Amino acid sequence: MDLSYKWLKELTGVDWPVEEMGERLTLSGTACEYIRAADAHMDRVVVGEVTDVQPVEGASKIKLATVNLGKTKMDVICGAPNVDVGQTVPVALEGARLAGDMVIKKVKIRGIESSAMICSERELGISDDHSGIMVLEDDARVGVPLAEQLDYNDYIMTFELTPNRADSMSAIGIARDLAALASTKVIKPATDLKESSQKADSKIKVRIEDPVGCPRYAARIIRNVKIGPSPWWMKKKLLMSGVRPISNIVDITNLVMLETGHPLHAFDLERFGSDEVVVRRAADKEKFVTLDGAEHTLSSQVLLITNGKTGVAAGGIMGGLDSEVESSTTDILLEAAYFDPVVIRRGRKELGMVTESSMRFEKGADPNGIPYAINRAASLMQQLCGGEVLAGIVDCYPEEIKPKQISLRPARCNYVLGVHLSEERMKEVLTGLEFRVSGKGTLETEVPTFRPDITREIDLIEEIARIDGYDKIPDATANIGPLFTPIHFEDKFRSDVRRLLTGCGFDEMVNHGLTDSHLAALLNPDLSQVKILNPVSADLDIMRNTLVQTTLNVISHNIAHRNVDLCLFELGKAYQPGNGEDDWCEYQKLSLAVSGNTPHTWRDKPRSYDFSDLAGALSLLGEHFGWGRLNFEPQSNRYFEREISFAIMCGNIMVGIVGKMNRKIAAEFEIKQDVYLAELDLNPLIAISGRLTEYQPLPVYPAAPRDLAVVVDDHVRAGELVETVKEAGGEMAESVEIFDLYRGKQIAAGKKSVAISINYRSKTGNLTAAQVDERQAAVVNKLKEKFKAQIRDK
Amino acid sequence: MSLLDEVTRIKQEALEQIGKADSAERLAEIQVKYLGRKGAITAVLKGLKDLSLDEKKTVGAAANKTKAALEQQIKDAIEAFSAAGEKTGFDPTLPGTRSRVGAIHIVNQVIDDICQIFHGMGFTIARGPDVETDYYNFEALNFAPDHPARDMQDTMFVEGDRLLRTHTTPVQARTLEKQQPPIKIITPGLCFRNEAISSRAHVAFHQVDGFLVDEGVTMADLKGALVAFCKAFFGEKLKLKFRPSFFPFTEPSAEVDISCFLCNGKGCQVCKQSGWLEILGCGMIHPNVLEKAEIDSEKYTGYAFGIGVERPAMLKYRINDIRLFFNNDIRFLRQFG
Repeated sequence: MDLSYKWLKELTGVDWPVEEMGERLTLSGTACEYIRAADAHMDRVVVGEVTDVQPVEGASKIKLATVNLGKTKMDVICGAPNVDVGQTVPVALEGARLAGDMVIKKVKIRGIESSAMICSERELGISDDHSGIMVLEDDARVGVPLAEQLDYNDYIMTFELTPNRADSMSAIGIARDLAALASTKVIKPATDLKESSQKADSKIKVRIEDPVGCPRYAARIIRNVKIGPSPWWMKKKLLMSGVRPISNIVDITNLVMLETGHPLHAFDLERFGSDEVVVRRAADKEKFVTLDGAEHTLSSQVLLITNGKTGVAAGGIMGGLDSEVESSTTDILLEAAYFDPVVIRRGRKELGMVTESSMRFEKGADPNGIPYAINRAASLMQQLCGGEVLAGIVDCYPEEIKPKQISLRPARCNYVLGVHLSEERMKEVLTGLEFRVSGKGTLETEVPTFRPDITREIDLIEEIARIDGYDKIPDATANIGPLFTPIHFEDKFRSDVRRLLTGCGFDEMVNHGLTDSHLAALLNPDLSQVKILNPVSADLDIMRNTLVQTTLNVISHNIAHRNVDLCLFELGKAYQPGNGEDDWCEYQKLSLAVSGNTPHTWRDKPRSYDFSDLAGALSLLGEHFGWGRLNFEPQSNRYFEREISFAIMCGNIMVGIVGKMNRKIAAEFEIKQDVYLAELDLNPLIAISGRLTEYQPLPVYPAAPRDLAVVVDDHVRAGELVETVKEAGGEMAESVEIFDLYRGKQIAAGKKSVAISINYRSKTGNLTAAQVDERQAAVVNKLKEKFKAQIRDK
Repeated sequence: MSLLDEVTRIKQEALEQIGKADSAERLAEIQVKYLGRKGAITAVLKGLKDLSLDEKKTVGAAANKTKAALEQQIKDAIEAFSAAGEKTGFDPTLPGTRSRVGAIHIVNQVIDDICQIFHGMGFTIARGPDVETDYYNFEALNFAPDHPARDMQDTMFVEGDRLLRTHTTPVQARTLEKQQPPIKIITPGLCFRNEAISSRAHVAFHQVDGFLVDEGVTMADLKGALVAFCKAFFGEKLKLKFRPSFFPFTEPSAEVDISCFLCNGKGCQVCKQSGWLEILGCGMIHPNVLEKAEIDSEKYTGYAFGIGVERPAMLKYRINDIRLFFNNDIRFLRQFG
């Protein structure tokens, strides 16, 4: 909300410099986001009088105006349609810098020199009106700087209000906080008015059929008003708050809304259509045209102000076209009502509009602020429009909304805030904010109805804290609460996974999980999806049910940016809908992917990443967390190539999948290169992780290493060979490693040579050569027997 | 001068020249000058035949010893030059051999930093579901039934009466329901808002929430904890400003600004010349929230705070596009490796 700085000064008498006022309001909860000089574009702009207007030969759109600037006269080219003799106008002289960074320079148009410009409101930064030049009041003083004439040596303060503070959506509301900060009182604008002898209720009656939606409806009648423009002081306040002046009556309702926070509405009494206001819910499919000319089809969500037959206003949101005040209007029905915030909110959503009025009612107006607001408006209508105010307010208020009573224990206030404020100070702050406080020891507080946000003691404590200042609360220097808190194993697990995988060259991804349902269905047609009802875009319409999808998205993104060599992992969740109330499923997963080539250095030639890179990373994790051996069991999976597709088994629990991405599926993600991918379920793995490592004594006796190269059929698996060697080697074979694999010219087709290194050792003594030879022979025999292995000579 | 003295003089002169020599080439010249066919020592040796037997013995021995010594000296000096010299086959400028270490995602690095600081103050990590119920995301946290955050415009809803949590504060509601005070928890995680994706806004972001509930927790404790955190995370010299604000689940509520760590509060582009950066929201836990979880709000008080992850990371590392965090472009990831 934008407000004039001078207006706040006028309402409080507080004369702090604008920066200080902004800062202190900010630090008390009314954030002043922005301050700008109202006259920023009025330097070198003065008041001039148009004394002559002549056509310019050969140009239909521009005229030559002569302006009297007091001491000088000047000819100015002017393109505005409304320029006329006798007007007082703003004249920008050479060097003036107008809005939109327009600098006034000497120009020559059609041979005529012009070094000044008559300005529109937009050019002066007053409003966005650019339909013609701004015409000043008749009594404007020629030659005077414009800012002085318009009282624009002022600042516009922009406030960012928190949603709970309905009361601060007005000049008086903000002034109230300001006054409390400065220990002074708000100077409320006068409501002097002289009522005529005729009673208002002889002209109008009010009936509320929906007291929930409209707990109070008050009306006044003002007769014989003269519609015309508002005086400048009023226009200025409206303009500085970004409200466009229209005519005196409408401007008064807007000004009083800005001033008090209470939205008002003025009807043309003659066009109102009856002598009774009836407030009810709209009927289903009832039609209504708002004053912006839009036709709406209503439902019972909308509160309708009617004349007993048809709607005249969407209550609290917008008036109707048919009863709008026009230039010919003479009699006014002035409405000041209180509408329920929730009803207004639902109604304006139904109508699809937000207005200054709906915003205020939605946050909560003051039901008991109605008499002041309506009297303030009536008194201005009397003063400025010559209206005759009929006697009395026709006030329908079936059930009075009473101020809440809340007790405040000063000790509790100090206890929560960690301060030592006196009871007196607490009283002072609350009374400064217009709360009524009585009692001692416990402060009995009456909460004014303009503060619907205050509902219990803690809210009063906040009022005291924010006005006294958060900066007065000390920063504790000692720690409180539990001192010993564990690091959960799950968190250590994640951080270990990150450490190990980045240690072997994998980069970590973080995805948000929102993804495309169609691609998800392509990967897992039978897996249920968590569907977003209101997605931001069609390709983010579900939460992923597998990390495979987002991993492929990331690979695709990288390849598109020519990052083709990738080692990636992610610790994240996959989501599935549940069946029952608490049966919602979020699964902790780990995805791993490799694609492209290993780094190419001067020493190492690159090779393609492949399955073994994933197998290596998995075995690293397995060893670290003590999972035991992970086995890869063939298992078909629609997104892996048939021959490289496995279930990852930990004992007899399946803990994940690993394989080579199916080319056709990869192509759907615009990936053409080979991708190897694994996805692990972490919950079962976390459950079996973290076994304590038991120390093994270092060997005492020397080892006897032996190498062995065997030629076997291509389909024989290395794992089977190792298992067999271990079995035949018994306890003596301390370790068995594959150290070479060869297929090629020296070996028959369909065969491969596997080199195995066996480390023999005994825990009880030195091994003799004979003992080792004997055991090695047993190993060889077993391999021959089981795999028809041929021993290759070195 | 005896020939013996002459040998000594030659030796001294030669040693002096060797010491001054500034290149291997110069040393070769010295070698020729003293030890060459027409060299000084060679001349002495050639002259031995004219001497007496005794003199032959002493001078000859001295000259041969000097010759050997000078030869060795010159050889060592030449080697010293080539050892420090440029052109041998060894090239130390070849890139060192190493394995590439991957990068932990910057978002997780920041989360870890934040959690570690709070762990040091006695907070322990708790987590909760990303797909939440209205109850934990809003109702248990004292959001009014018609609060705008509950709109489709702000929150993404999920089939089956669930929503994507809009903050990690629901973990607070869940924890309060399960545990009795004292509770001191920090909750990192993903959050979602129904927002168009641009360089400045994203549909998803990370947040770290924290809260403490115990007897005698005051707003001064909240301020102390956050001052300690901000100094540890952003820098010792930092200043903080607590501004009153509004959150349904805290009362009193505050927004914390820190003095801009890029310009030290002088005003720069990042802080929009204000010298301050808005960094986190906090407050005293609303008694309604404690009461919903059946915790005695008279006996216990608590504080809570929430810190975005991406925003401070963007400020700290000068990242100008929030989408980079979720694109996972390895050129971005590896800058923080």
